[in-house]
Amino acid sequence: MSTACEPLVGSTMPLSTAKRHKSVRKNSRRIYSAYQDRQQGSSDDNDKEDEHVDSNDPEEMFQNIQYQKEIIANIRTRPWPMRRKLKVLKQAREIVLRYEGRLTRTRGYQTAGADLLKKVSRLLYNTLVLFIPWEVRIKKIESHFGSGVASYFIFLRWLFGINIVLTVMTGAFIVLPELLAGAPFGTTRSKTIPNEHLASAQDLDTIWSLGGYLQYSVLFYGYYGRVRKIGSAGYRLPLAYFLVGMAVFAYSFIILLRKMAKNSRLSLASASDENFTFCWRIFCAWDYLIGNPEAAESKGAAIVNNIREAIVEEQEKKKDTSLAVLISLRILANILVLLSLAGSIYIIYFVVDRSQKLEQEKPELTLWEKNEVSVVVSLITMIAPSAFELVAQLEMYHPRTSLRFQLARVLVLYLGNLYSLIIALLDKVNSMSSAVPTNSGNRSGSSSFLATISQPLEGSISTRISEYGNSTTATITAVLDIASTGKSTSKINETSLFERNTRSQQDQCWETYVGQEMLKLSIIDMIFTVGSILLIDFIRGLVVRYLSDCCCWDLESKFPEYGEFKIAENVLHLIYNQGMIWMGAFFSPCLPAFNVLKLIGLMYLRSWAVLTCNVPHQQVFRASRSNNFYLAMLLFMLFLCMLPTIFAIVRYKPSQHCGPFSGQEKIYDIVSETVASDFPLWFSQVMGYITSPIVVLPALLLLFMLIYYLQAIARSLKFTNNQLRMQLQTERTEDKKKVFQMAAVRLQAPEEAVDRQSDLLESDMESQEAAAHTPSPQWNGNVRNFQSPLRHGNSIHTVTQSAAGLDLDRGCVAGSVASPMVTNLPKQIRGHVPNRTTPFLGGPRGTCRSKSYHHMAYNPQAVYSGHIQCEPVCRKPMCSFHPVEPARGVSAQSCGGCRGHTTRYLIVNEHVPREKLVRSATRIPRHYLMEEPAEILELYPRTFQHYTRRTTRHPSQPPPPHSSQQQLSEEEGGGEEQGEEGSRRLSLEKAPRPSSLSNLLQPAHFFIGDCVERHRSMAKDSNTSRGRYEAQEDDEDDNDDDDDDGELKWQGLESYSGFQANEKGAEPLVVRTRRRIPTSGKHYPSLGRVRPMETYTKPKMKQKRENPVTESDSSSEQQNSSADQRMQASRNKEHESNRRRGKLAKKSLKQDLI
Amino acid sequence: MGTTASHLGKDLLSEYQELTFLTKQEILLAHKRFAELLTKEEKELPNIRISMERFLDLPELKSNPFRQRICHVFSTSESKDGSLTFEDFLDLLSAFSDSATLEIKSHYAFRIFDFDEDGTLNCGDLEKLVNCLTGETDDTRLTTEEMRQLISNILEESDIDKDGTVNLSEFQHVISRSPDFISSFKIVL
Repeated sequence: MSTACEPLVGSTMPLSTAKRHKSVRKNSRRIYSAYQDRQQGSSDDNDKEDEHVDSNDPEEMFQNIQYQKEIIANIRTRPWPMRRKLKVLKQAREIVLRYEGRLTRTRGYQTAGADLLKKVSRLLYNTLVLFIPWEVRIKKIESHFGSGVASYFIFLRWLFGINIVLTVMTGAFIVLPELLAGAPFGTTRSKTIPNEHLASAQDLDTIWSLGGYLQYSVLFYGYYGRVRKIGSAGYRLPLAYFLVGMAVFAYSFIILLRKMAKNSRLSLASASDENFTFCWRIFCAWDYLIGNPEAAESKGAAIVNNIREAIVEEQEKKKDTSLAVLISLRILANILVLLSLAGSIYIIYFVVDRSQKLEQEKPELTLWEKNEVSVVVSLITMIAPSAFELVAQLEMYHPRTSLRFQLARVLVLYLGNLYSLIIALLDKVNSMSSAVPTNSGNRSGSSSFLATISQPLEGSISTRISEYGNSTTATITAVLDIASTGKSTSKINETSLFERNTRSQQDQCWETYVGQEMLKLSIIDMIFTVGSILLIDFIRGLVVRYLSDCCCWDLESKFPEYGEFKIAENVLHLIYNQGMIWMGAFFSPCLPAFNVLKLIGLMYLRSWAVLTCNVPHQQVFRASRSNNFYLAMLLFMLFLCMLPTIFAIVRYKPSQHCGPFSGQEKIYDIVSETVASDFPLWFSQVMGYITSPIVVLPALLLLFMLIYYLQAIARSLKFTNNQLRMQLQTERTEDKKKVFQMAAVRLQAPEEAVDRQSDLLESDMESQEAAAHTPSPQWNGNVRNFQSPLRHGNSIHTVTQSAAGLDLDRGCVAGSVASPMVTNLPKQIRGHVPNRTTPFLGGPRGTCRSKSYHHMAYNPQAVYSGHIQCEPVCRKPMCSFHPVEPARGVSAQSCGGCRGHTTRYLIVNEHVPREKLVRSATRIPRHYLMEEPAEILELYPRTFQHYTRRTTRHPSQPPPPHSSQQQLSEEEGGGEEQGEEGSRRLSLEKAPRPSSLSNLLQPAHFFIGDCVERHRSMAKDSNTSRGRYEAQEDDEDDNDDDDDDGELKWQGLESYSGFQANEKGAEPLVVRTRRRIPTSGKHYPSLGRVRPMETYTKPKMKQKRENPVTESDSSSEQQNSSADQRMQASRNKEHESNRRRGKLAKKSLKQDLI
Repeated sequence: MGTTASHLGKDLLSEYQELTFLTKQEILLAHKRFAELLTKEEKELPNIRISMERFLDLPELKSNPFRQRICHVFSTSESKDGSLTFEDFLDLLSAFSDSATLEIKSHYAFRIFDFDEDGTLNCGDLEKLVNCLTGETDDTRLTTEEMRQLISNILEESDIDKDGTVNLSEFQHVISRSPDFISSFKIVL
């Protein structure tokens, strides 16, 4: 902007101004280069930070070492290239090594130990990885088909792990003890195959249906002995059996819940209200694991579909379609699904029923008849999902929703199957355990009745009699049941049936039966799975691949295609499978072991099938999103599968002649029995208390309260979470809005500025007058104006960084905007100083600036623009600190010019650490720097002039010109900061002289003002130099000025003393001032003088002086008046900031002075 | 440094473990795979660079639409040709490994998507990104209208400060909410 401004200014100004501009530009360039250096420096900061560790303070050393260790520990999480990481790591290690020795020896040992530990743990980890089963296989699949398919296998592996644990539990605590210490096969009735079955015990179909030897083996509940203690160690098998049975569920629950909790912690962020559909579809679309070109192709296609879908969806969101047809279709589809669900349930029930009938009617069953139930169930589980899929096409849902529907339906189907099966089985159990036909009549009606009747009457009478007592109890319970269910039929029959039933009971062990059925189901399911993989996937793949050439259509892409790997359904199948295991585990302790084998087989078969003949499902079912989904379903399944088992345990009487609990009324009696008989008396008493309602009820209440409390906490946390998020969002958006407003205002600023110039002029005048008479009121007014910017300040600085680019651009614009005002300058100047003979260079500019300045202040709308401007300004000063002497002029200008702005800025940045400031400052692009100074210049003079001139003027003591010159020369001599400082010191030494004094004061003031910015030394230097310059300038400019200088100095002295006296007064706001360019030094408004006066210490004095000055000295140049205004404005602004920073400022001031 | 391509120093190996998210086996495997890409005489040279073209032949990268970007991002080559040293390769694998943090993954993802490397994802970047995903053929490519809408939707969702671009923190914000980014931003040798 300086270039844009120059012509305008130049036309109205003497040559010297042009010179000055040149120097300004030069300076700005310097600033820029300095900034560049700075930037480089800052980029190296990180490296340097690691290095400086030179202190002998052990505490510090220790901290440093800790810091270095942190670096070492976290280095891998930094996105640096390896080379750099290596370097940093080496450095950090070196430091740790070098300094750690200096600390205690034990610490050295500790670290050595820690190192060793780390190495060992790493080694362990490395070897552990080797033992994760199928890791390589899964990785391979993952790299071919992506994470979705892999998630299935990972889930399978996880289930495998669970089943291993379950197997170990049952194996170690039930099966092995029974095998080792239990009564051997054939010794007791329950372990002997009945004679009539012995012949067929080894037939294949008997084995196949898990009869014969298998039935009387550890596979099933019935085999386990009822002896309370077995072996020499007295192992309590029945108790163990019961506890392990419960532990299976407990363990599954715990592990599931833990996994889910972990998962949900991982995906804590997936808050439902945050929706990034599109972003996710783009940013997270690609699965980087895919390495197989075919998979990549289909993935690519899926992504395209996905994106298109999203777009279409978005478009259709806007238009809502009336979909009567669709809705009716969906209703129809749902009806169909419900019908098929009901149908499948009915079929299962029917089959179980029929099998019971058959069993009772026919002594010999065919293979089909024996396996009917399992086969039908498996068939249904295989076919129904496909049927659902067809139906789902009717509905025309979005694929994602339809997938969800599909999953839900399949899950319901599986559950329905399992439940109808188990209910049917329990029905049978009912009839078996209670031996009362009417009971089973509940569901299967007369069939079971017939069944019981048709039971063959066998066995010895003696056994019958021995069991008489037991069976009576059974009948009694049965009677009770009948009464409770309101079925009071055939009580009469009871007794007649009774004897026969007792016999059947002996051989019929309902627990074994249930176990058999579950195992059978599991086996059949496995066979069907294998079959479907081979047939549907493999054969189909073969056909498609090799027959596609000799077929009239493209088999690969049209009809048969390759089998898809349907992740969701496969996972559901796994869940279903696991559900069967849980359901049957209690009755068949070896079921988990079988499941382990099954899962291993499935793993290999599936992975082989996937790699050879499957293509990934078109519908991508995402891995992690589904993770908890799978688990949730699994948990649901677990719960529902546990119910029947628990129900059976609680509800039914255990079989009389088989199993560990035979002879007990209820299975769980084993626990109370053990407690009563095998524990000391006190224990059972304690147990009695604990289980009494007195304890249980309060405990329950407590639990409920706890749950409620935790839930309340969770709710409140959620609430605060939401609020915080909202707050964040609004803050962000508001900040952004502000930035935009500011930018907009900035753009408008030029026009507005021109429009309002007249207004401004007036207001300026008024304010000036006001200032002259009563400075304080005006201040207030000004302060008010500035308040808004201040307020926004805090928030804005956060924004600025990101918006820096924008701001800068606009800043330039605004900067350039300021120049137009120059045209109006003359008027204003006149207004201010009618008597002025020669318009000062500073003067015109000053007015310009003041205008813009006032403009900001007066324009509510423009507030933002003002703010923006001040930001850049602030940055500038910082940059300018470093430059060498020549740059001083500029820096001084900027500082002074910014004053008003700077103060605001300071406030804004109160909370910002110094570093940030520096960096932000350094970041400013060059054009900014260049232009800003000009702007600042404009602002400057006006305010300053008023002040200084008036005050200074009347004393009229001609200062010794040489002194100021001396200073000048000194300063010039010292090309660098240090040089400056030296000169400053010199001047300080000269303190007795008025001029030097003023200089001294100035720095102090400056400090006060700028200490906030923390660049004291630089600032001081520039200030001091300015001060001197000003003095010089004044001398050169006019005699009057010289006089003023003298006065200034005097005042400076006064103010100085006053200053010291009232340190609070640190408000000497105005320090800012004039920047002096050594070469063009002449035209400088003596800001230096102004400052001292402004110094708070003597506000009154100043005021007094001012008044006389202004009135009497109206002839004094614009400079004065402008300076005054300037001062005022700055004061106002600084007022607040100073107050806040009073202390800081004081301190710094003192330092400086000293 | 002991990194001739045929031999991996023990110290270095442990340092690499320290500096990456990889296990020893993975580093060794990476080294093996890296060495496979080299010719015999190259194997004796320390710090050899593998050109991007040769590198892209790795099946793990072959079908990745962002393969070139990945190479460029992880390359420390002065000439910006996307060539990778073994260390660069390890960096790559580390960032794409199982145990890498979300932060580092999203950081690199951002850089991969930042086609013009200007520090933000602007419309141009997004367009290229979408084109990479959809492929360049006519039937898969989005029309300009679709593209416009898509990009505006993306910006609407993610561009919190409404400056027309997605910057790193915005990107990470979006990514961190994504349930499956972590599991899919992986490359396994």
